[in-house]
Amino acid sequence: MLKFTKITLSALALITASLGAANAAVTVLGWPGGSEETALRAVAEAYNAQSGVADADKVELLFYSRDGFYDKLQADMAAGSSAFDINLLATYSIGRYASYMEPVDLGPDAAKVFGESVLKTMQFDGKQYGVPTDLSLHFMYYRKDLIDALLADPAAKTKYAEISEKYFGKPLEPKAPDSWTWDDWAATALYFAKSVNPESPVRYGTVLQMKNLLFNIMVWQSVARANGGDWMDASGNITIDSPAYRTALELYKKLYDAGASPKDSLSYEYAETNAAFGSGQVATALQWNAAAGELTDPAKSPAVAENVGIVAPPAGSAGRADHIHGLGLGINKNAKNKPGAAKFLQWLATEDAALLYARSGGSPALLPDVAAKIAKERPDLVTLGQYAGAYGYVMTGATSANAFPVYELQAKEFTGYWSGQETLDEALANTKAGMEKLLKP
Amino acid sequence: MVDLDHKGWRVFASPLVGFLLLFLGFPILIDLVYSLSRVSFTNLRSPEIVGFGNYGEVLGDAQFWRASWFSLRFGVITAVLECVLGLGLAVFLSPLIEKRSWLMAPLMLPLMVAPAMIGLMYRLVLHEFVGPVPYYLYLWFGDSPSFLNAENAFWTLVVVETLQWTPFALLLFYTAYRTIPNDVREASAIDGASARQILTAIELPLMRPTLIFTFFIRFIDGFRVFDNVYTLTGSGPGGSTTSLPIYIYEAFFKQGAIGKAIAASVILFLASFVGLYALTWLSRRGKGAAS
Repeated sequence: MLKFTKITLSALALITASLGAANAAVTVLGWPGGSEETALRAVAEAYNAQSGVADADKVELLFYSRDGFYDKLQADMAAGSSAFDINLLATYSIGRYASYMEPVDLGPDAAKVFGESVLKTMQFDGKQYGVPTDLSLHFMYYRKDLIDALLADPAAKTKYAEISEKYFGKPLEPKAPDSWTWDDWAATALYFAKSVNPESPVRYGTVLQMKNLLFNIMVWQSVARANGGDWMDASGNITIDSPAYRTALELYKKLYDAGASPKDSLSYEYAETNAAFGSGQVATALQWNAAAGELTDPAKSPAVAENVGIVAPPAGSAGRADHIHGLGLGINKNAKNKPGAAKFLQWLATEDAALLYARSGGSPALLPDVAAKIAKERPDLVTLGQYAGAYGYVMTGATSANAFPVYELQAKEFTGYWSGQETLDEALANTKAGMEKLLKP
Repeated sequence: MVDLDHKGWRVFASPLVGFLLLFLGFPILIDLVYSLSRVSFTNLRSPEIVGFGNYGEVLGDAQFWRASWFSLRFGVITAVLECVLGLGLAVFLSPLIEKRSWLMAPLMLPLMVAPAMIGLMYRLVLHEFVGPVPYYLYLWFGDSPSFLNAENAFWTLVVVETLQWTPFALLLFYTAYRTIPNDVREASAIDGASARQILTAIELPLMRPTLIFTFFIRFIDGFRVFDNVYTLTGSGPGGSTTSLPIYIYEAFFKQGAIGKAIAASVILFLASFVGLYALTWLSRRGKGAAS
């Protein structure tokens, strides 16, 4: 009996000691399974290898699966979990998690690496809640071979003018993609749709991701923003029922109804859009920057890779706009090692760490002079930084605690309109009423 | 056989009662409190009691009734289709399966796939540019329909659900069909009954308990459908493929309206309880009348 007691006590002591050791480290809950995980692993290894980092502050990584990631994170944080010291956060969910997190001081040099507009993607109520590790925005992908042929063919230009007159009431001339307005893009999409122009060399002029999903609203809303749209005005009034939103919603419906986008577009999201564009049967696609690697890789997209052109989203009456949101890392309010977590985040916001993160596959938005240092290895990051700086925007209210439900509401109502289940007036009225409830101070 | 007195029953039943109180009673109590509260993820530990407002909000929400209608329609249609197809297959394949029992294994394969995976699989199968179904439709007919738009998504989901779960009905019906003694069939054949009469007057009445049981199991499964619908169409354009579980899930996690989501689940629980109680009562009444 005595022997059994001794063994039990020894085992308990060993478990307690090992738990203590685990608690001393800084546990980081990261975004799993993509380039973000690879990059995070690389910077964590580099950080731990530094001589000045105490054993108690070394970084350990923790990953959930992607499916339902934010639901699980939310449940854990609401339950006061201390299983991780640093957690992932995103621009559109920062308001929801801010009450479970600690603001962090990244130091004065962070602005010299990322720039103020990018740091803002991790701010809530004027406080910095995280390091912006990866930035997402949208590119307009197009087929260079198709557009070049259109621009060089007088007969095609005549057909293009006929189509644009029929759908927009004015004859338009084909333009180079970097000077497209949304109407130019839409006319191009209609020209390349077999249902509109049976002579088109491809089946569809574009592929619209219109599934009832909040991320698809982020893709679409740059049309509204480019025409001056916003969620609310400076006084906090909901301004969703505006000419800009009406124009943007009607444009997508016009293209979908005309057959310029695949019939099942109402069930399309990121993966379906890549598959459609990569098939070689689609002329243009407004898609996340993350797709650039896949669509320009001859091994992954053999039908189009050699002919993919990338420009910023087209311009509207208020100029060009590109939705940006960031993924980042911030400190859990219930962290067991807050000083260690802060040290790691401050290091992560330095230029050396940001460049290492970028070289390892991450997509940080860096200021032009910083991005220039890795221009050869990551030319896409130069474009990312340029577009984010020049056209990046976050809708007013889109970092609030209820930003997520607002996007969900818009996704439901706007897909209801696009699918013909609601009128435009009904969809906008329902959205406005819901947003007033969700965003009331 | 040992007779237990009242005290003995208490002693032996107490672990079970304790278990139920702990793992069912406590969550139900919390749920009831939350359903009467204004609660979100920010005030989980200090919910503000607001009375029956959440119930009123759910009952006044057109999307709740739309989701209820979707679930009811989906449950009934898929249960009927699966039972009809399963019964047909059980009767027609019975001689073949009896001789080659290994055939049952491939027929049961769809049951081995997780419903969420089925949804993901059909996202590929029905995709216009990578899916085999649209590919062959374009090849043979020059066009392919939209399988997942607002008009067709419901029926596409019904077909997907039916294809996966018909083998379940087949398995139960085949088992019941084989338990009918051949003597009965032979006797009725000698009396001049046709194959159709044997089926309708002898076999189906003998299989009735299995038919009813299978229908209810499949109806319940169809009514509470979540995984394959959510992975294939989400809640659908304009919320057109929102089942009740999806409605509750989205209210809880996507909208953060915890009180509303739990009020909806309590309403669903009460409706299910009343429905099942009524069915049990009708079943007993039917049995009483028959005897």
